[in-house]
Amino acid sequence: MTEIERSLLRRLRDRDERAFRELIEQHRDRVFNISYRMLANREEAQDVAQEVFITVFKTIDTFREEAKFSTWLYRVTVNHCKNRIKYLARRHDRDRDELDENTRETNGAIATPARAAQPDRALEGAQIEVLLEAAIKTLDEDQREVVVLRDIEELSIEEICEITGLADGTVKSRLHRARLALRKKLQGKLS
Amino acid sequence: MTTEEEDEVIARLSDYLDGAAANRAEIEAKLASDPDWKRLHDEMVESTEAAKQLSGLRKAHAPVTFTEDVTGTIEKRSAGRFFARRTFGDRVPFGALLVVALIGLGIIGYVLWSSSTGSLTTDKPGEPHDKTELVPAP
Repeated sequence: MTEIERSLLRRLRDRDERAFRELIEQHRDRVFNISYRMLANREEAQDVAQEVFITVFKTIDTFREEAKFSTWLYRVTVNHCKNRIKYLARRHDRDRDELDENTRETNGAIATPARAAQPDRALEGAQIEVLLEAAIKTLDEDQREVVVLRDIEELSIEEICEITGLADGTVKSRLHRARLALRKKLQGKLS
Repeated sequence: MTTEEEDEVIARLSDYLDGAAANRAEIEAKLASDPDWKRLHDEMVESTEAAKQLSGLRKAHAPVTFTEDVTGTIEKRSAGRFFARRTFGDRVPFGALLVVALIGLGIIGYVLWSSSTGSLTTDKPGEPHDKTELVPAP
């Protein structure tokens, strides 16, 4: 931990508002990007990123200076994202159950949603992005976590081990299986 | 090969592909002789190649109002008690404080200088000096 980080930490513990603002300015984009790539939804990502900083502010006194501050911050971020993924999955299941219930009540008279019209000239880059996002979304939260941290955020395996609390071998094998799943999803779709 | 064994091989191959393996010759011998090792190696090369596409994803940026939103939420949830408040806000006006201190010292100095007794109690002209008798008259 650098002296600048230590000084910032001292000010954070003193509840210095300017220090909190500095901290947010320094890390907001990375925290937001991790959240966005894990949740694949801008509004959810924004909400989770906010909660991450609020958690950090509330629990700053519990941070031990053994690890890098950014490692701790990213750990808080991925934990929040994984919780949100689980919550959204539960809500999705509940909504689907309710929908099924309503379907039975209305004798299955459900309108099929109209397929969104594809823009005639979608940019190739944007199309690839959509495909990649969709592929990431099919991974479970544990696989998503390692793929986002390693292949999108380009963190080292060592940092990922610290963030996730997993053993080196587990991170590597999980990453391999996640990449394999991604590759299967993207096969034939990307040149 | 069990899952545990496979995990171990993946970890070793991961180091090998990253150029971090210390025992490269041993791994290469395994790759030449063991089809499971070879299969995992080939899968890893292909999947790593596919994963390279991900680094090209655009970085998502937090909204412009993000910092204000977070501090606003903290203020709201803590009813304004979270951040330490300072009397002078973010910046202490040292210059102004010095001027005030000098004026204060000047006033005290003037009062002491103009007092005949050298104390902060001054005598008013025309009044008897010993207004308060220390020893009452018999």
